[in-house]
Amino acid sequence: MNDAPAPTYYDQPLLNKPHWDGKVAAYLFVGGAMGGCGMLAAFARRSGDTNLERSSRYLSLALAGASPAILVAHLGRPERFHHMLRIVKLKSPMSLGAWSLVFFSIPAVLNALAQAARDGVLPKGIARFVPERFCTLLQAFFGTFITGYTGVLLSATAIPLWAKGKYHIPALGVCSAVSTACALNALALCRDGAAAGTLHKLDRLKTCASLGELGVLLHFYTYGGKTVKPLFTGACGERLRKFTVVGGILVPVLLNAASVLFGGAPRRGVVPCTLAASGLTLLGGYVLRAMLLDAGKASADDPREAFVQPA
Amino acid sequence: MAKGFFTDTTLCIGCKACEVACKQWNELPSDGFGFTGMSYDNTTHLSGTTWRHVAFVEQAQDDSRDAPPRWLMMSDVCKHCTHAGCLEACPTGAIVCNEFGNVYIQPDVCNGCGYCVPSCPFGVVDVIGALRENAHYNTATLQNERLQSRQTAVQNRGGVAGKCTLCYDRQRAGMVPACAQACPTDSIQFGDVEELREHARGRVEQLRRRGVSSSLYGVDWESSVGDLRAFFLLTDRPEVYNLPAKPVLPSTHQRAGYGSAALAAALLIIAGMAIFGTKV
Repeated sequence: MNDAPAPTYYDQPLLNKPHWDGKVAAYLFVGGAMGGCGMLAAFARRSGDTNLERSSRYLSLALAGASPAILVAHLGRPERFHHMLRIVKLKSPMSLGAWSLVFFSIPAVLNALAQAARDGVLPKGIARFVPERFCTLLQAFFGTFITGYTGVLLSATAIPLWAKGKYHIPALGVCSAVSTACALNALALCRDGAAAGTLHKLDRLKTCASLGELGVLLHFYTYGGKTVKPLFTGACGERLRKFTVVGGILVPVLLNAASVLFGGAPRRGVVPCTLAASGLTLLGGYVLRAMLLDAGKASADDPREAFVQPA
Repeated sequence: MAKGFFTDTTLCIGCKACEVACKQWNELPSDGFGFTGMSYDNTTHLSGTTWRHVAFVEQAQDDSRDAPPRWLMMSDVCKHCTHAGCLEACPTGAIVCNEFGNVYIQPDVCNGCGYCVPSCPFGVVDVIGALRENAHYNTATLQNERLQSRQTAVQNRGGVAGKCTLCYDRQRAGMVPACAQACPTDSIQFGDVEELREHARGRVEQLRRRGVSSSLYGVDWESSVGDLRAFFLLTDRPEVYNLPAKPVLPSTHQRAGYGSAALAAALLIIAGMAIFGTKV
């Protein structure tokens, strides 16, 4: 009716906030790393890298156990978790996510069994019954989906910051998933002297993913305007800068660069560098998720952002 | 033949009978006794256990201290969107569109994932926190056998999403929803949505002739949430009543989201394949 600044209703929030707490941040982190491990398992199989194949398969199994457990725990009625599997709903990212967890976990268990058989933990015969190629393919496909859908899930809401990030948050999720998966596998392999070549490749892929993450984050900052302020200012912004941008991206990238320049693949000095870089990347990945959740909830408190919602 | 509400805010006197009737019929627990100090509105917002909320807007006239303020009162409720964000988001299928064209949460199906909450562009639905059984209930009005029964426990003990059902149970019995029944001024009108819209347009015209400018909120909308089955007649901007001027159906963001994720994944897959290479 006129151009005066929009009045508010006693500055009361317009939107309701999800009850999602640290458990959901943990799931976004663990689920992402799990999906990334599925992608790495496929790279390993394609290149015949047995070290990475072993670590990524066992890690996939462990994370595929942890992530549904965290998801079930965050529900208001945990005993009804299986209601997620009543229907398939293409319009609901959460429905597709629940199903892709199922279709990731089954091949992940089978491949881990086959790996255990090959490693002599289980009877050798078991490996013969596992269609490893098909399972790896499934794991890679649903793993890739899992790295991406959580970001879509957040953007497909009315929360101003998340909706504004529809081009950024899903890409951030994928990049961070790959970098944390590389970090986890590097941690699993770093004491194995024979895996030095694999460590090197993991570092390189992790650097690619981290730099991508940094680029998307910077673009989100410049593109988002006032809506993204809760993520980049205040306590959230400080933690994001400290733990994700500096600690989780810049320092590991420099450490990896240093190990390439001064270490050389087989030398012993590489291990502490990889160890530190991986730990920092994992911390940064978790903080990124936690801050996205916190900042989203904070942005829901501003009624002016919610009156005219990002189209 | 969708059924719905027409809330005519020009008739609301702020008695909150709708809030009370809703709480009582639906056996919803109280939200405590907080005083906001900002207005007569101590409810402040719709929630999982508050399905009607009367907003009180007090506007000073002409900057003059002597002129009486203008009062705007509005009984807010779930909008029962034709394209409902909560319904699209729900991964369990607990949220359905029922035979009356109303958005209904099946309380025995919902598992409390909470995804409908941020998916509502109007801030209506919420997950009911874990309530201690019987606590905050008005046991004088709550029928004892229903309190004991499993049905009530399932509906009210918390952990699931809650919002207006448009009195599904009363409608099935051919009755008018509790809030519309209790409203003493017919500010809340219940009926066939088409007929209500016709009536509402007539009311806008009638008010215009009397020199009152008003508009309908949620009718003939070019909005992604579609027309609302619970719509309103307002005499000021929607923001004044804490309603979004431009609500957006959240699922419209999905295409961009999946596209962005696919692009990032494709680039990283190419990088991974290049770095790890093929078997020699």
